[in-house]
Amino acid sequence: MTALAGKYKKLKDLHPEEAITPGTGLCAGCGGLDGLRLALKELGENVLICNAAGCFTLLSVYPFTPLKGSWLYTTMGAPVPAAQGVRDALDIRLQHRELPDKEDLLVMTVAGDGSSNDIGLGATSAALHRNLDFIYFCYDNEAYGNTGFQLSAASPYGSATQTAPNTEFHPAGTEFFKKDLFEIWKAQKPTYIATVSPREPIDLSNKFAKAKTMSGSRMFICMSPCPTGWGFDPKESDLIAKLAVDTGMFPIKEYFEGQVTHTKRPQRRLPVEKFLQRQKRFRHLFEPECRHDIIENIQSHVDEYWSHYE
Amino acid sequence: MYRIRLHGRGGQGIKTASQILGTAAFYSGYQAQDFPLYGAERRGAPIVAFTRISEKPVLERGPISSPDIILVGDETLLDDPQAAPLCGADESTAVFINSTLETSVLQQQLHLSSSLLKLNLTELCIQHLNKGTVLSTALAAAGARLVGMITLEALLKAVDAELSQQGIGSIQENLNLTKEIFQNLFPVVLKPRKEKTISPSEIILMEQANIEEAAPIILSPGNMILRKTGNWRVQRPEIDYEHCNHCLICYARCPDGAISLGPDDKPEIDYDHCKGCLICAQECPGHFINTVREAGVES
Ligand SMILES: Cc1ncc(C[n+]2csc(CCOP(=O)(O)OP(=O)(O)O)c2C)c(N)n1
Ligand code: SF4
Ligand code: SF4
Ligand code: SF4
Repeated sequence: MTALAGKYKKLKDLHPEEAITPGTGLCAGCGGLDGLRLALKELGENVLICNAAGCFTLLSVYPFTPLKGSWLYTTMGAPVPAAQGVRDALDIRLQHRELPDKEDLLVMTVAGDGSSNDIGLGATSAALHRNLDFIYFCYDNEAYGNTGFQLSAASPYGSATQTAPNTEFHPAGTEFFKKDLFEIWKAQKPTYIATVSPREPIDLSNKFAKAKTMSGSRMFICMSPCPTGWGFDPKESDLIAKLAVDTGMFPIKEYFEGQVTHTKRPQRRLPVEKFLQRQKRFRHLFEPECRHDIIENIQSHVDEYWSHYE
Repeated sequence: MYRIRLHGRGGQGIKTASQILGTAAFYSGYQAQDFPLYGAERRGAPIVAFTRISEKPVLERGPISSPDIILVGDETLLDDPQAAPLCGADESTAVFINSTLETSVLQQQLHLSSSLLKLNLTELCIQHLNKGTVLSTALAAAGARLVGMITLEALLKAVDAELSQQGIGSIQENLNLTKEIFQNLFPVVLKPRKEKTISPSEIILMEQANIEEAAPIILSPGNMILRKTGNWRVQRPEIDYEHCNHCLICYARCPDGAISLGPDDKPEIDYDHCKGCLICAQECPGHFINTVREAGVES
């Protein structure tokens, strides 16, 4: 089985239309917003987004919306049940109520990592079981961003969050390793899964272009550098995204027909410090003294992952 | 009662400044109340915070519309109609602006009846803290000095307490900064303001509306473009078209889609919406995007 070929090679090939306007209240330099913007460039306007409460809920603030497509705001646990409901309603109307085919919409869920890994995961699993025909976009800022950056199951080991600060008894801050959402989803064999980064717009666009031609559950995790929560200068968003890939901490890959392919391999992996030391949430690993032990645990975890693929 | 209003942007520490000010007043034996006000917007958007200081318990609530002192941390807000930092200023108000401009120049441009003071806090922050983006200590110190009855000792204690509580490092540097600002400013003589009596407003009865009217449905796709986020900018990216080779990296990287493509793939920045994150300038491979500090007041 070969990986699906991408149709885009250059930035000039990106879809020229924007499906999301400027003017939103999201932070300056929000990495996840660039990810969603590039994704929607590809998916177009005939999309209905079911959004889980989170940062991106700020996209559409009554009476304004930046979207050319549709938007349905749901609770933190219910963006996927909402997507199921919308999909069912569209299908019934297409089949029995003479809704013209051109009125059909692509149903999409947009949810943060907190919603995706925690309260929303049960419902997502149920939808994957039914092979719901939708696209899932999880923007992964590795915490509950909207409410002030509390711990989620996607917060990486060693990072400080509001509810997992670095303390005498918890020197690492977050004590557990990030939940492997990709593998959890994969266990249910959806049509397609991909991880994407706003720093890799061609890879991202190719993956959404492919996903658009498929049916069934198509699942995305978008690494979303968050200047506010991670603690870095907004202009460094893409530098941080690049380092996440170059250190091997955020593998860029896809799953299709039983096969996992890494689509952007780090040539020579950089040490994880390169990624960690630029962010305030990891500062306690370097000051007042360097916690080599914790950094070493992070490095081994990354090495262990890549030992299966290198 | 002293009513102090602080203006700045999300991320500049304006809320913390109002807290330090309140705590310093409390340590000086006064009653204090402080709180911020911001919408759903994030870092970079204009925010306002308030501190009320009184010998008696502070029973007044809500935003301050007739301030005794206005502290403007970010002069780029001065001509922003939404933030309107000078709103409610009259001859009894003292206005303090963090600015590089001379007081006379500011006065000429702003036509204020209020007394006007300024100090370049950003520069002092750069000197003491190595960065000019976080103004919490500096603005609080300016406010504490202007209001007059806060002692340096109480102010230093408040800076220490608030910064430690928030886990912010470089306490000693902040204390030095506090001292310098305290010594550089003098208390203002506030003209007494007539206390307003507030009469209760009429109760508005809400009637049940039809779901079609009551539900927050937006029927105008993409109307967010009507909202301008250009006023979030502290630095402005400017493309050097003589050198730009149209590689489109800036266009792909701008999270807000504020860079569009003109003829021949010429990248064009939409300054009505560019938030000034400066990703484009950072990412341009040839460094063909310059960054320029936004001038506050138009001359
Ligand atoms: C059941 C429930 N609990 C708590 C909240 C409050 N809440 C709103 S957004 C949010 C954070 C969501 O985090 P995440 O899904 O990671 O998205 P992010 O905010 O990071 O974009 C929380 C806790 C809620 N809306 N619903
Ligand atoms: S908190 Fe982070 S994820 Fe949320 S809008 Fe701001 S930058 Fe984006
Ligand atoms: S600074 Fe550059 S990248 Fe940031 S919003 Fe403005 S145009 Fe976009
Ligand atoms: S990144 Fe630089 S060279 Fe490339 S299009 Fe933008 S301004 Fe021009």
